[in-house]
Amino acid sequence: MKNDKLKIGFYELTGCAGDCLLVTDCEMELIDIFNAVDIQSFAMVMSNNTDGELDLALVEGSVTTEKEIEELKDIRKRAKAVVAFGTCAVLGGVQARFIDPKEWEKNLKIVYGNTEFTHTKPVQSKPIDAFIDVDFYLPGCPVSKEQFLNFFTRILKGNPPEHYPNPVCVTCKYNENDCLLKKGELCLGPLTADGCGSICPNHNIPCNGCWGPVEGANVTSEFYLLKEKGFSVDEIKKKMANFSGTKITDYFQQLDKEPK
Amino acid sequence: MRIFKLKKEYLFPFLESISEGADLWAPTKKPEGKHSFQIIKDFSQIDLDYTRTILPPRKIFLPPSFNMFKATEKKYEADFSHVTEKIIFGLHPCDIHAILIMDQFYKHHYNDPYYIEARNNTLILGHSCWPDEHCLCKSAGTDIIEEGYDLFFSELEKEYLVWIGSSKGDDLIRRKPDFFDENITDKDIQKYIEWREEKDKAFSVSIDFKNMPDLMELKYQDPLWEKLGQACLACGSCSNVCPTCNCYNINDKPFLTENASHISRCWDACTLESYSEVAGGENFREARSLRLKLYYTHKLQAYISKYGKPACVGCGRCIETCPVDINIKTVAQSLDNETVDAFWDRFAKEVTK
Amino acid sequence: MKTITIEHLTRVEGNGGISATIDGKVVTDVKFNIFEGPRLIERLTVGRTPEEDVSISPRICAICTLSHKNAVLRAIENALSVKVSPKVYYSREMMHMGEMIESHSLHTFILALADYLGYPNAIAMAANYGFEVKIGLEMKNFGNHIMKTYSGRFIHGENPIIGGFGKFPSREELIWIKNRAQQFMPFVFKAVKLFCELDYPTIPESDTLYACCEPGNNKYGFWGEEILLSTGEKFKRDDYKSFNNEFVVSHSYAKRSRYNGKPFSVGALARVNVLGERLEGNAGEMYKKYFNEHWKKNPLYHNAAQALEIMYCFERIPQLADILLGYEENPPVISYTTKNGAGTGLVEAPRGLLVHHHEIEDGLVKYVDIITPTAMNCEDIERYCHIAAQELLDKGKEEEIKARMDLIVRAFDPCISCSAHAAQVEQAQQEAWKDRLTEITTQTAPVFIGVGNDERSDDRIGLKLASVLKESGMANVFLESDIQADTALQERAQDRPIIFIDAVNFGERAGKITMFPVEYILNNAALSHKFIPFLSGQIHNEQIKNSFVLGIQPQSTDFGQNISPQVLDAMDKIIDHLKN
Repeated sequence: MKNDKLKIGFYELTGCAGDCLLVTDCEMELIDIFNAVDIQSFAMVMSNNTDGELDLALVEGSVTTEKEIEELKDIRKRAKAVVAFGTCAVLGGVQARFIDPKEWEKNLKIVYGNTEFTHTKPVQSKPIDAFIDVDFYLPGCPVSKEQFLNFFTRILKGNPPEHYPNPVCVTCKYNENDCLLKKGELCLGPLTADGCGSICPNHNIPCNGCWGPVEGANVTSEFYLLKEKGFSVDEIKKKMANFSGTKITDYFQQLDKEPK
Repeated sequence: MRIFKLKKEYLFPFLESISEGADLWAPTKKPEGKHSFQIIKDFSQIDLDYTRTILPPRKIFLPPSFNMFKATEKKYEADFSHVTEKIIFGLHPCDIHAILIMDQFYKHHYNDPYYIEARNNTLILGHSCWPDEHCLCKSAGTDIIEEGYDLFFSELEKEYLVWIGSSKGDDLIRRKPDFFDENITDKDIQKYIEWREEKDKAFSVSIDFKNMPDLMELKYQDPLWEKLGQACLACGSCSNVCPTCNCYNINDKPFLTENASHISRCWDACTLESYSEVAGGENFREARSLRLKLYYTHKLQAYISKYGKPACVGCGRCIETCPVDINIKTVAQSLDNETVDAFWDRFAKEVTK
Repeated sequence: MKTITIEHLTRVEGNGGISATIDGKVVTDVKFNIFEGPRLIERLTVGRTPEEDVSISPRICAICTLSHKNAVLRAIENALSVKVSPKVYYSREMMHMGEMIESHSLHTFILALADYLGYPNAIAMAANYGFEVKIGLEMKNFGNHIMKTYSGRFIHGENPIIGGFGKFPSREELIWIKNRAQQFMPFVFKAVKLFCELDYPTIPESDTLYACCEPGNNKYGFWGEEILLSTGEKFKRDDYKSFNNEFVVSHSYAKRSRYNGKPFSVGALARVNVLGERLEGNAGEMYKKYFNEHWKKNPLYHNAAQALEIMYCFERIPQLADILLGYEENPPVISYTTKNGAGTGLVEAPRGLLVHHHEIEDGLVKYVDIITPTAMNCEDIERYCHIAAQELLDKGKEEEIKARMDLIVRAFDPCISCSAHAAQVEQAQQEAWKDRLTEITTQTAPVFIGVGNDERSDDRIGLKLASVLKESGMANVFLESDIQADTALQERAQDRPIIFIDAVNFGERAGKITMFPVEYILNNAALSHKFIPFLSGQIHNEQIKNSFVLGIQPQSTDFGQNISPQVLDAMDKIIDHLKN
């Protein structure tokens, strides 16, 4: 019998495994997902994984070792399309918050001392597109069930994946939340890509930006607005950098160009 | 038009008697203090001491996201599951005016079956209000309502004056004739007139909407728009909270197992970057300033030119919502060369220092 | 030499592997590798606010996200003297029940059961065991529902905050959770029966030390202010370091811990061993019915212990719901003004004891120390895998080693991302001892100790070799007899690897040289040797983990003075190698 199902692989680089775990959190859809496609590799749930040609590879986690660079390049060679799966793969994740390489090296030493690692050399955390071409980005810390299922079914039906170009504020308003930014809290909603369902503001907690920056985010305006509300430059920059890793550097440079 | 008197203690029993078999929507207070229209399960949830809800009542007719069709390979099945028998209680005049504008658009200009069906199955029960510092209904001419409701409740001290606006409204009254008193005294009328006069004096801001179409045209190239664009966070909130915004987007939501798809419809906002993007990735209004111009052209010029009234009912939601103070008040004031107290203005001065 | 490697440990949450190297008849090396790269989690929140710390630290791990949340909250609230109201305390316990059920049902039904029933994954298993898979998924779904209700979402929810919750679930939600938990009970009984009656292999079995939180009040539970060991010893939360010594190994980015230099186990099995007597209700009955000697020494019983804990959780949820329904008002978030302090939070994550220590200075995080359960289990995972590999090799069942190591690693339910996928078995290269010796000697000059019996032919070789090395002027070479007299060895050997040279009977051809960690002697009955008492008497436990045996297969150890030519040949090879 000819197997014309899409060949899919789930891969984990460095991260919390939350994006792959989220797939198992689709409890009611899990068996259908496994039956709809030919899953070639999914280490978290399968033991008979193979390393063959793929139609689609979903890669979670950021690159933090030399071995992972090799693995990633091998996945790219084998897969027709690669998806950066989750904020770590898209932006480098929380572990990419050391923007300055010297800072990173210093902290590596604090944690591991002078240990010479024999298995593979560590590298500063980077998103996967620092090493390979990425066809689609699915951010989230972790990705949302709705976004993953929507992405998965669209690919399965041969439709292009849906883009999520809006900031968190859109869903936040649909959920009729009182604007936390307006109330004077350090909320990153207007700068952050939507997809979570505005889950934090729904709980009266300001958005921490875990989906990373939305396209066209007006960082400068929010930055000045937060300053006017009494937050320090340091505080704002740190909060913005928590999830967006080295990619936020571009924004900071843009900010630094602005007059004082 | 018939007017009755209703004792306050009869209000909830009356609502209970008429809401059997229908969803009763009314303003409720959220724990954080703001209000929202919700389906009422317990009358203690209703809070009439409110100025405005976060989202406008149009969400009750057309939710932010709903399925229009289930499409299979062979056919489309229309999905009207969002249409149920509804009663909305507690609507303020500005919001009823906004529903009339929505009617104009969706029932007369375009026939939108999803709106029409939902609207035809909904009874509108208005309620009087008191303005705060953001209310612009007097300027917009929407502080008084003459049509668009089935019943309207004007609050006096211990009673309501209940205005019947439609034959459906009249039918409602007949369900509990004992509650309603036709005997309106001179004293009642006096109280009502005094309340009207007091309310009239309570407005603190006004905008001359008549001048706006001309000013919009004359100031189309004004640096004001750049200033606004510079500060706009492009969050879409001004559109989402506006009771007269009606743009939407359509998406396919394919099923995992069945070879079928939902065609879903969700609110869109012209202030969002993706709004003017077309196939091929071209975007007609990539600049935030251009998108804001579109929004305010619609509110302050195009609609006035066509229907003689602004597409703004002065509800004050955009004023209460926009984090950078881009709203109908500051924009109109600025077009009118008034000084404004707004973050966007301070920000423009800051960055051009 | 052959290495059995499980390159990607599958069906564990994270990224790692285990490998065993076989040199003839000896398993010379077992390594639990965690391929997860370094994330420096403990440094990420330094300089950030306590609120950012509470949000970011739990991102160390997706499956234990709420255990980390509870632990960081307990630590920071201790540091800042924030005392939460009972409703917050019990709501956090409810949230924790959700994570236990979610994690345990995922691990038992979906990840581990496939091993025992012989399927590559639960979905393949579903064709014949649809009912079991469905129960597992439904339980997991319910656990997830509780997590989402209390934390905001399935993974990395942000609703639990310092001093309380952003928003409390409604009473209706609580009543639903209570009723749903009660509806599950018949299936919970089935789960306990299934996992307590599974036919667990008896290899490996070995006593170990178990550790968990002391919940207090003679109750079972998942957090406390003290660490309680199976020996009865207790450690106060702020003294966690005296129990737990973390160290780094070069083959992994996951830190490890030992107690007094010895591996120990944490997790469901540890809790049931230490606290099982305290289980009440149906879980108590089931404990009495099923707990036996195997549970005390066989790590594969982790799965049975998890099933027992699933029952505990399902019985605890209705109790918690009733308690919570008694609090009508939602307490406001407690604000704090303290800007300085240090605090420790102890929590039982599904896979064991979790320690969070956070220090705040001038309102910002200054220092973070997180010790995860998998980091604590690493050493015992390696020890049990070594025991199993050696025993199976001795029994001529080499082909079973790979699958057994897989089973052991998975039984520990390692959440590898929080520290560190699969088993590998390899044959050692020819003369693999040379590389290992080179590796050790190039790092630091080791201490050599010749061991043996001067009256038993080939057993003299260790002493002879040491004498030759000594005479050639090599430093730090001792004879067994020197050591007994030299109390300063401890000082001299400090931080240096110790290499014991000795005749070791592996049942190989005479003269074969094999090098392996000295600890393996402890796990290997066939290799047990007279210097076990010597080891425990002379060398500190900490040093044992850094010590090796350079063993030569003797021809004969009968009384006599002749050393056989093959053994002498081996000695020359070692001397040549060391000279080069």
